[in-house]
Amino acid sequence: MRQPPSIALENVTVTYHDQVALHGINLALPPGTIVGLVGMNGSGKSTLFKTIMGFITPKTGRVWIEGLPIHQAQKQGWVAYIPQSEQVDWQFPVSVQDVVMMGRYGYINWLRIPRPIDRRMVEMSLRQVDMLPLKNRQIGELSGGQKKRAFLARALAQQAHILLLDEPFNGVDMKTEREIIQLLMQLRDAGHTILVSSHDLSGISTFCDQIIFINQTILAYGATQEVFTPENLNRTFGVPLPGIIP
Amino acid sequence: MWDWLIAPLQYEFMVKALLVSGFVGVVCGVLSCYMTLKGWALMGDAVAHAVTPGVVLAYVLNLPLAVGAFVFGVGSVWLMGWIQKQTRIREDAVMGVVFTGLFALGLVLISKTPSNVDFLHILFGNVLGIPTWEMVQTLVMGGLTLGVLLVFKNDLLLFCFDPTHARSIGINITGLHYLLLTLLSLTIVVALQTVGIVLVVAMLITPGATAYLLTDRFDRMLILAVLSGLGASGLGTYLSYYLDAATGGCIVLVQTLLFFLAMVGAPKYGLFRGGRRSG
Ligand SMILES: Nc1ncnc2c1ncn2[C@@H]1O[C@H](COP(=O)(O)OP(=O)(O)O)[C@@H](O)[C@H]1O
Ligand SMILES: [Mg+2]
Repeated sequence: MRQPPSIALENVTVTYHDQVALHGINLALPPGTIVGLVGMNGSGKSTLFKTIMGFITPKTGRVWIEGLPIHQAQKQGWVAYIPQSEQVDWQFPVSVQDVVMMGRYGYINWLRIPRPIDRRMVEMSLRQVDMLPLKNRQIGELSGGQKKRAFLARALAQQAHILLLDEPFNGVDMKTEREIIQLLMQLRDAGHTILVSSHDLSGISTFCDQIIFINQTILAYGATQEVFTPENLNRTFGVPLPGIIP
Repeated sequence: MWDWLIAPLQYEFMVKALLVSGFVGVVCGVLSCYMTLKGWALMGDAVAHAVTPGVVLAYVLNLPLAVGAFVFGVGSVWLMGWIQKQTRIREDAVMGVVFTGLFALGLVLISKTPSNVDFLHILFGNVLGIPTWEMVQTLVMGGLTLGVLLVFKNDLLLFCFDPTHARSIGINITGLHYLLLTLLSLTIVVALQTVGIVLVVAMLITPGATAYLLTDRFDRMLILAVLSGLGASGLGTYLSYYLDAATGGCIVLVQTLLFFLAMVGAPKYGLFRGGRRSG
């Protein structure tokens, strides 16, 4: 039996008050890949994420998550969103462990009192991202890479198959970027589908299996070595970018 | 000292006042944690003022005051949201316009209503003169609010911390948003008898802010906020008895004092901290 695509979009159009943000989007992302979503600021990357998460209802077209409509996939906890650092209140009085437990809320009864299995899942997820020793730290007391890992652990505790990272490398130093990439590759090898957006090309071609170039519509999509060409970069960014292609 | 505490208890009105204000301190303490973390201080003030005309109308129509307060509390929030959608005015300005407008309406209604002494109690509180049936009403509503707050403790925390994640796992955050607003409106009604509309926002913010200075774990924050809310209510009520001063004012003054004590003395985030970081 063939597996359905992790994320499938059929002829999706999204508008904000009659202003077109995305149009004619057709995509089928295979499971177990890291896909880079590359486009300028305002090209519709965040809009595409919100559409995949079901926060925006497309004007036309449909979105499928592993063959299911979004809201059913959400109830299963299949899609996890890893927030940008700027969106998080790092002073919030929660520990790493508390944050990871939030990944279990979809499974726990409505009182949200963790069961032994939830505690085990949290523990396992923390171990998987190498954060177990830091589980009692307040989240503000972590380094940049540790912060990202805490939220990836939450996605693992959620048992998400699909991880969405909107511009994870914004304002992140080289060492942290390496750390995140390393972990993403591990998670890909464990079978997760990972969609990572970026408004520049910093390192994206080095770890993504596939790349989507976007500017309101898909300019090019395919295996990295095939689509990462000067023509496509030129079409995406509107200027030739000498010296970036190796 | 012992006498100082025991002597006033021979009066029934003091026992009732302590009971009510203490309980209000507990309910407000819990809610204030969420207000502080969600950044809803201005929202609390706005809703507190906006309920005034509702309370007056309910009084005139002989309905429970809570009903009027609730309708105007939620209605004002809806109105603010609607105005913001229609115009390009920023949220804080919209709040300022709406809540002062509704408060003004409340004041006009008060001035046109006979026997308007009762409304002074709504504006400034009158816990020392609280009638028994109002005390029961306050305790029941407060108990209900507290119960719901505790049942949804973790969902509300997630809603404050990361609504995007909540939504992405299928939790109804619009529902939680309105739940928190409803609890806010109810808490305001509960606190009216004690401190009045003018000072209620202090009850909704200060205990949470004080506790936030002292810890970086939510459960401890809840406990500390409840303790400071309870302590301030008790001490404030005694002070008001001995000084023959406004009870609401005394309670809020004690709360403010506790806040500054925490600010100076907090081990980690205080002015003289010896802690790990400076943020
Ligand atoms: N909530 C919104 N209301 C109206 N327009 C929006 C909204 N969010 C995004 N847009 C517009 O949609 C376009 C795509 O935005 P976005 O998806 O945020 O791009 P990116 O994430 O690639 O920078 C931009 O022109 C932006 O101004
Ligand atoms: Mg964006």
